[in-house]
Amino acid sequence: MLKALEGSQAIAETVMLCRPQVVAAYPITPQTHIVENIAKLVANGRMNCEFVSVESEFSAASLVLGAASAGSRCYTASASQGILLMSEVLYNIAGLRVPMVMTCANRAISAPLSIWNDQQDSMAVRDAGWIQLYCADNQEAVDTTIQAYRISEKTELPVMVCVDGFTLTHTLEPIDIPDQDMVDAFLPPFNFARALNPRNPISVGTLVSPDFYPEARHSHHHALLDAITDIVAADADWQELSGRSAGGLLAADGPDDARIGILTLGSIYGTLSAARDEYTDLPSTRLIRLRAYRPFPADALRRACEGLTDLIVLERALSPGYGGIVAAEVHSALAAMDSTPRIHSFAVGLGGRDIPLELYRKLHDTISSGEVAPFSIIDVDLDKLPMEDRGLGRAVNG
Amino acid sequence: MTMKLTRSGFALPGTTLSYRTGTWRTQRPQHLHSAAPCHAACPAGEDPQAYIALLDEGKPRQAWEKLVSANPMPAITGRVCPHPCEGGCNRGEYDSPLAIHSIERYLGDLALEKNWSYPVAVQTSGAARVAVIGAGPSGLSAAYHLTRMGLKATVFDRVTEIGGTLFSIPDYRLPRDVVRSELGRILATGIEFQPNHQLGRDIYLADLQQDFAAVYLAPGVMQSQDWSIDGVTPRDLHQGLQLLKQWGDVNSLPEMKSAAVIGGGNTAIDIARVLQYNGVKTHIVIHSSMPDPNNPLEDDMRAIPREIDQALEEGVQIHTHHGIKRLILRGEKVTGIEIVRMRKLRNEKGRLHRVAFEGTESILHVDQVIPAIGQVIDPTGMEKLLRNTSYFKIDAYGRVEGHNDIFAGGDAVEGNGGTVTEAVGNGRIAAEAIAATIRHQSLPSLDRGAAVTFDKLNMAYFEHGERAEQPILPVGQRTCEAEIEGDLTASQIAAEAHRCFACGNCMSCDNCWTLCPDSSVLKTQEIASDGSHYVFDYDYCKGCGLCANECPCGYIVMVDEL
Amino acid sequence: MSTQEISLEKLRVRQPRFEGIESGHRACLGCGEALAARLVTEAAGPDVMIANATGCLEIFTTPWPESAWRLPWMHSLFENTGAIAAGMESALKAQGKPTKVLAFGGDGGTFDIGFQALSGMLERGHNVLYVCFDNEAYMNTGIQRSSSTPHAAMTTTSPPGSERMGKRHLKKDILSIVASHHIPYAATSSVAYPSDIRKKVRRAIAIEGPTFMQIHCPCPLGWGHEGAHSIEVARLAVQTGLFPVIELERRELIGSMPIREPRPVTEYLAMQQRFRHLFAKNDSRAVEELAHIQALADHNIKHFNLRGEGADALDSEGADTVRRGGMRRS
Repeated sequence: MLKALEGSQAIAETVMLCRPQVVAAYPITPQTHIVENIAKLVANGRMNCEFVSVESEFSAASLVLGAASAGSRCYTASASQGILLMSEVLYNIAGLRVPMVMTCANRAISAPLSIWNDQQDSMAVRDAGWIQLYCADNQEAVDTTIQAYRISEKTELPVMVCVDGFTLTHTLEPIDIPDQDMVDAFLPPFNFARALNPRNPISVGTLVSPDFYPEARHSHHHALLDAITDIVAADADWQELSGRSAGGLLAADGPDDARIGILTLGSIYGTLSAARDEYTDLPSTRLIRLRAYRPFPADALRRACEGLTDLIVLERALSPGYGGIVAAEVHSALAAMDSTPRIHSFAVGLGGRDIPLELYRKLHDTISSGEVAPFSIIDVDLDKLPMEDRGLGRAVNG
Repeated sequence: MTMKLTRSGFALPGTTLSYRTGTWRTQRPQHLHSAAPCHAACPAGEDPQAYIALLDEGKPRQAWEKLVSANPMPAITGRVCPHPCEGGCNRGEYDSPLAIHSIERYLGDLALEKNWSYPVAVQTSGAARVAVIGAGPSGLSAAYHLTRMGLKATVFDRVTEIGGTLFSIPDYRLPRDVVRSELGRILATGIEFQPNHQLGRDIYLADLQQDFAAVYLAPGVMQSQDWSIDGVTPRDLHQGLQLLKQWGDVNSLPEMKSAAVIGGGNTAIDIARVLQYNGVKTHIVIHSSMPDPNNPLEDDMRAIPREIDQALEEGVQIHTHHGIKRLILRGEKVTGIEIVRMRKLRNEKGRLHRVAFEGTESILHVDQVIPAIGQVIDPTGMEKLLRNTSYFKIDAYGRVEGHNDIFAGGDAVEGNGGTVTEAVGNGRIAAEAIAATIRHQSLPSLDRGAAVTFDKLNMAYFEHGERAEQPILPVGQRTCEAEIEGDLTASQIAAEAHRCFACGNCMSCDNCWTLCPDSSVLKTQEIASDGSHYVFDYDYCKGCGLCANECPCGYIVMVDEL
Repeated sequence: MSTQEISLEKLRVRQPRFEGIESGHRACLGCGEALAARLVTEAAGPDVMIANATGCLEIFTTPWPESAWRLPWMHSLFENTGAIAAGMESALKAQGKPTKVLAFGGDGGTFDIGFQALSGMLERGHNVLYVCFDNEAYMNTGIQRSSSTPHAAMTTTSPPGSERMGKRHLKKDILSIVASHHIPYAATSSVAYPSDIRKKVRRAIAIEGPTFMQIHCPCPLGWGHEGAHSIEVARLAVQTGLFPVIELERRELIGSMPIREPRPVTEYLAMQQRFRHLFAKNDSRAVEELAHIQALADHNIKHFNLRGEGADALDSEGADTVRRGGMRRS
């Protein structure tokens, strides 16, 4: 049913439809509205679950780990500092192959302190072993959250649904909230094979010696790679049920003859799409938005980049001292192509810096020389740099 | 077959059982059934720890049966034994020793009341026959044990009634009806009694040796020692033991106003107390001192300390460290004695001899002097055997020196302390040796093993509790007939039994089972081969020693395995 | 009398108690924590779910592929036991299942790194029994000081030397802190009193709401004594007054195990190598420390009203006076 809702409210209503039995809540901007909305739903009797206001994000993740291990579908949300604080638990959850879904309301990482949107937080935990899905708009956030439960419970891998903070969470727009019957038809009841049970008293979380640890990691890695199938299938099934795709592994749109591509994750796609419509004088551009980041959909990406001479990777995070994180992975994936496009890597919109339409022109200008542009934070204003940091960056990153 | 990981590395329950931590051990716990000090101290070989355990479990009959497997006359010894068991009782180092004496008496009296059968073997017609001389406690004990083991015992005595010197003990200490009742029941187990048979007159040792497989001699010491002071004896001399017998038999005593009893044993105390009851102002003169743990043993009076205390309460005057120097006579009757301070001291050769201290003389005005300085064997019929010695010399099994088929025990044996309990013990040991010899088996071991000392127990698990004391008639109420020391009630007895530490034996307290961090002590409903209800699981036991340290009874020891 | 052979395997299975932890675990000889955990699970029974912190107990019971536990059990991390347990409890509540959740942690995982999660769990009123196995240091990592380590004790991070006399700070009063959360039941106990442990576990489990137990567990390796002496050492800790055995309901002291014959602290300290610097000759610092520790013990005895009444010696309620046939007081 179409409703005009703030993104976080939509997510809260969606979580309710998925019928979790336990929800852990800890406030952190910009996900707080999600848990507040869930609290209201519980208080008004619309949602029947154990709503636990924990005392830190570490405990939030731990609480849902305990709940899922005891056989209940659960939910929590966090962002930024909270994601970092709970990072130890995130690795633990994934390594124990416990199914669950978490919303990450992407936000910049301190220091400097910032409450605004970028993707450093989810990028920082990309190796934790979770499935990471990035949503381009609030409808995708709703549909992806529902799909996430099915994917997670089928693969026994936890899923992080990344939703740009403020940009999506605090934006009011018309969103189609599915009805309960549709969600019930799509999601089977929670049934975790290794749930703890006095009738079958296994011991979970034991010390594993070097004789077996690599095998555990092998299984985990390949489970993630195999999850590509489940991510595709879930979206296909959802499309059949609801009439909408949530973006599959990735989505590419633009003329077939476009030779320039721009790869992004999350909501920045909307800005670029509007800019492309505005700046019709610029060369044809294929806009590729990556939804599945972990597992990394290398095959799909190669197909999406067929025929490109230049690919701009635009990300809202970086690895200080190296450069673009996603760009590096894209490089490595596209190296297997017969004809690899020039790959240009830029970070943009860090700490919530507004991304104007003009960025689109600037990107085209930057790559027009035919050379591979070096990595840069493309929207940096060098005049604002502190005195002692002017003159840095003469050693261009290799 | 390569082991496979489980997803997330979960493990199945209880699978550590496949790893046997027993390989970590350098020492292992073992059960060690040691003698409790009460057992080690009992001259009769009773195991009070064992029968008190049965009593504590609510099984008085089995307790009595265990008791009489060693000593068939607990109602008697429970009244007259000096109870060295209590002296050894480890509980004495914690609060107060167990009232084993009273427990023994209680069980003995209960058996009399309920007429419980003695646990003796069924006699077969072809059983070997053994002759016993003397129907006193030692002889009857030997006869009983022989019967218990399936042999046929025939007891000879020169008097009509069984009992021997037991009837010399006054009623207020040992009632005659108790003696008759208990000894009668012992006889009824199948012992043949031939009264009025004097050795050397009616029967002869050589014949007995021929007609019987073995002979046990327990004639007691029925002959008074000659006594005189400087060769002088009064015309109407009465020996202490004779007077007691006369008192016991016919309830009469010679006329006297005051008397001096010479001697420090139980006989001296008994006759002194009887006289005192009968209005005679009585003194005891003895060169020993009052019993005191700080004294050397040879200096102590031999009588049981509580008897001495009661004598003093009743008004008997005891002159310790004194001896008679001279009799004061008018004609041939005594009118007094001159006593002098005297002690037995060791000379340069280390031998004890009496030393009188000149200048310390004093006079006691008495009209009777009654020696109670000990008796000797009446050698009639045994002259060749004794060869002019005063007592039999025997080996550990009771065999008379130089003879394989003649055994001896009781007061007649050299070195005996003169107690009923020792006499009973002699009888048992000899009977078991006789039975083994006749049956061509090896002689039973006499070693009871080292007794468990207090430091091997763990007091953390016992609460303090004082022992129940026997009620004792106040002096004013005492007569010569009624028992002065009373029984404990059944609930007092139960409480006493509860206080037993079970030294060296398992009391099934569950400590080891409860405290093993490795669950390696297993409990069994059945009795395990070592007699306890616990089994060590050596597959997993790491040998930490917690069980041994926390065993309250000293029953678990750690043994090196390297 | 006939004899029969019974296999140990069969005998093990018919022990008259619930065995939550099996043999074959890798605990050190005489480990107090192993014993305590065994006693706790024995009293708790099979319908429980356990969240266990990182530490000795977790390590020695679950060397994959083996596990000593016969109960559903989970180890996540070092500092989140309270939260894991809270999650289990929330799930079981949502599912309508009566299974009780137990949280197990050492002193490190409870007093220090797991303190926050514990506090949150208690404050929110989760129906969980949290048991802290207190061996007074980070033992699994090789004997480092925690806030539970007693004053003047030696650990690898609080060694004595010319400038130091062992741990400078006092033992954190975790029970008061826990009780200040206004929970229905918080108690201390000691492995020297197994009946007391079992009784308190049953009491706590029967309560709907957060409950807490701190069990004193000697560590032979870390404290420096023979494994055979673990119970003796634990008993002395109680009898000196250094480890009061008490029960609090909400914040009120409602019970304490009385000490009839208090023992001087030196008896307790002398048994352990971790205090041997306090017995150094000609060291006035050592003399002062011994006096300080005695003062702490005396303070406890007064503050928690630990002197018993009555003529009989030994501790009464909860004391393990043995009876023939295995009947204890409680």
